[in-house]
Amino acid sequence: MSARSRTSRLRWLRNRFVIVPLLLAVVIGGWNVWVATHDHGIVTGRVIDADGTPVADANVRLWVFNFTTFVEKMAVTTDTEGRFRFTGNPSHNIQISADKAGVGRSERIAVRLYFAAEDRELAEPLRLDKPS
Amino acid sequence: MRQRRTWPVHAALTAVSAVMLLPFYWVLKTSISGENIFAYPPSIVPHGANPFYYIDVWYAIPFARYFANSVVVSAITIAANVVLNAMAGYALTQRFRGKKLVLLLFLSCMMIPFQATIIPAYLITGRLGLLDSYLGLSLPLFSTSICIFVYKASFDAVPRSLIDAARVDGLSQWTIIWRVMIPLARSATATNVILSFIWSWNNFMWPLIVTRSPDMQTLPLGLARFLSYQEDSTGALYAFCIMVLAPGLLLFLMAQKEFVQGLAAGATKG
Repeated sequence: MSARSRTSRLRWLRNRFVIVPLLLAVVIGGWNVWVATHDHGIVTGRVIDADGTPVADANVRLWVFNFTTFVEKMAVTTDTEGRFRFTGNPSHNIQISADKAGVGRSERIAVRLYFAAEDRELAEPLRLDKPS
Repeated sequence: MRQRRTWPVHAALTAVSAVMLLPFYWVLKTSISGENIFAYPPSIVPHGANPFYYIDVWYAIPFARYFANSVVVSAITIAANVVLNAMAGYALTQRFRGKKLVLLLFLSCMMIPFQATIIPAYLITGRLGLLDSYLGLSLPLFSTSICIFVYKASFDAVPRSLIDAARVDGLSQWTIIWRVMIPLARSATATNVILSFIWSWNNFMWPLIVTRSPDMQTLPLGLARFLSYQEDSTGALYAFCIMVLAPGLLLFLMAQKEFVQGLAAGATKG
């Protein structure tokens, strides 16, 4: 079969009814690959005190939106550098708070994820600048 | 010859289009900003635009399942409409006794509202054992009088000599429809596809009656279910509306040229 006849046979594919769904399929497929490789439910961040010093052994709580309200799902403590790491977050709509006796507590901050269990590192640290 | 000025017409059409598109823009704006729709003074530009209302909708209900149900039901409806309406439309272009009576019957069917036929439709669907199934969901929209007339008008425009020549060549009626008539009636097919898609996609009453399990619900039912427990979130509600509207809008934009041609042909011939 010549190249020209092959091209003319495939001409019917070059129209918007094929190209648009094909493009959509590629975008959706790409997005699903991205989700599948970034949905481990890992949420990481840091906790600092009012002066900006990392706080070790602070309690960090993760709250998950449950139909109408947020409920506490899990809690971890920070390491010596004030870092925390949640694994297995199931939700796309979470809140995180931190506190430590004698240091203070942070605001409960809302974290919106683009898909459930998205891996995310918090850009801003949790600041324990409120009285416990 | 003096050329007519077209800008006043274009300006008027632009103004009318803007007025008609404004509510749609408002829905879109609210869906990405969640702003109070009753806020005064109203803001044209969305503040703090984000996609999170769409994400909330996706996870609040089994959106993917409802979407898939709507796609399957619409695909069955479109396929049935194209096949059955083309056959009926072709039959109505032929000469036979009582043709005027049949045409009158079809026209009178257009005057009966769907609500009036719901009970017999439900009983028939139940007898066929198709309740709570994709086939049962699409059955009442398998063929519509309007779309039959769209095909009839398009087929009437095909020269009689062409059909006679096809017959002389030994083609069967079935082959004449699919090999001769349908390729010449692209705009009528596009009109059938779009109209049957829109009617099926937006259908609320029939799926509400015929579905029993939550897994078989379609998007309009999902919207009603979503409304029942998310009534405080305008942003999420409007995001849902946009997500339901988007496929129909996309299909219309892709096939609008053929759609308009088909409707115009249906309006002028009969």
